[in-house]
Amino acid sequence: MSVMRLGFVHIRVTDLEDARNHYSNTLGMSVVHEEPGKLWLKCWDEWDHHSLVLEEGGVGLVKLGYKVESADDLAMYEKRAQAFGVSTGRVSKGENLTVGDGVRLTLPSEQSVELFNEIEFSGTETGSLNPDPWPRDRRGISAHWIDHALVPAEDPGLVERFFMEVLDFHAAERAITNPAHPEVLGSWMACGESPHDFAVVKGPNGKIHHFAFHLEDWNAILRAGDIMSMDDVSIDYGPTRHGITRGTTIYFFDPAGNRNEVFAGLGYRTFPDFPTVNWTEDQLAKGIFYIQRELNDTFLTVWT
Amino acid sequence: MADVTVLPDGVRISAANGETVLAALGRAGLRYRIGCRRGGCGICKLQMVAGEVRYERPVADTVLSDDEKVEGICLSCRAVPITNVIVELQEGDRLRRVLPYGFASGSTQR
Repeated sequence: MSVMRLGFVHIRVTDLEDARNHYSNTLGMSVVHEEPGKLWLKCWDEWDHHSLVLEEGGVGLVKLGYKVESADDLAMYEKRAQAFGVSTGRVSKGENLTVGDGVRLTLPSEQSVELFNEIEFSGTETGSLNPDPWPRDRRGISAHWIDHALVPAEDPGLVERFFMEVLDFHAAERAITNPAHPEVLGSWMACGESPHDFAVVKGPNGKIHHFAFHLEDWNAILRAGDIMSMDDVSIDYGPTRHGITRGTTIYFFDPAGNRNEVFAGLGYRTFPDFPTVNWTEDQLAKGIFYIQRELNDTFLTVWT
Repeated sequence: MADVTVLPDGVRISAANGETVLAALGRAGLRYRIGCRRGGCGICKLQMVAGEVRYERPVADTVLSDDEKVEGICLSCRAVPITNVIVELQEGDRLRRVLPYGFASGSTQR
């Protein structure tokens, strides 16, 4: 009876071969299927068929796929989204490779989100019987899984309300102007116990800020940074720690300019009965980059 | 080799063959307003006052439109000069020297 996790991210890239190299050799994903102009990839620690779709031509977000528990959830969320007033549509089995029937929601901030409950199960590289903790033949950064996505919105408060009221997400942390006049500037929202499965910040509609790969710990973040330098990856910011979520991080760009993050340290668990942690606008830079306490000139201006 | 002159300061540096405007300025220790460095965001657009550039990698038309190209706007992280070029920073931007030694930058005459 709920959304379980971010299932897949579908983005556009200007050059498919550059993107293949970045996501497979640098980040360590495996290509699981390919067609002319399109690649499907997954991380070693993911159970489902794929978690990333790359489509050649342009740049930016095509859609985010969130996996729900059952077919009944699809109908329920569709009804609730319609009641909220956003446009919805049906996705047929097979429209997304190996993915079953789904529901397409257009967020109040114009991004497409598709809910699905079935996708081909292909298993992790270590499997489910007496598994080793990690596979021996890892490549590059060897990210565990795609963890969350952050999108910009002209009205982040409305998008937060949509995820709470329609999709049963819980706002773990929130950025507000000030407590006396609490306009929502951003929200970090959970459907499970991880501090965020989805996040939104104030910015232009229809775009993506980043999607993130989970790494084991702070050491893995440093090692990832080393590999990014070896592979001449364009860095946005980090390594550093977030005040918001307490995660450790590096932000960087794929070869088409889409922002990625490596994110480690499940800072805490969150539950629906926990209060939302608030960050005021005057402390937001500390919330975002806890150590430096200053934003750079790209973090809240570059979107694809 | 092509000269890149940046207005309004008039700083002039040399770009190696195949080097982008951004890479040449970066190698000279100069910094200006840039974004993803990979052609995705359009933050580093500059107005070209003179000269010609080419794009050796695909650029999304949502980032740099044909109209912008006609107007002489270049995406500096992807634009490779094929002649000497004169570019103008966006309004409110300025060149900052982040490598203060100067000898890497060639001429800085006005």
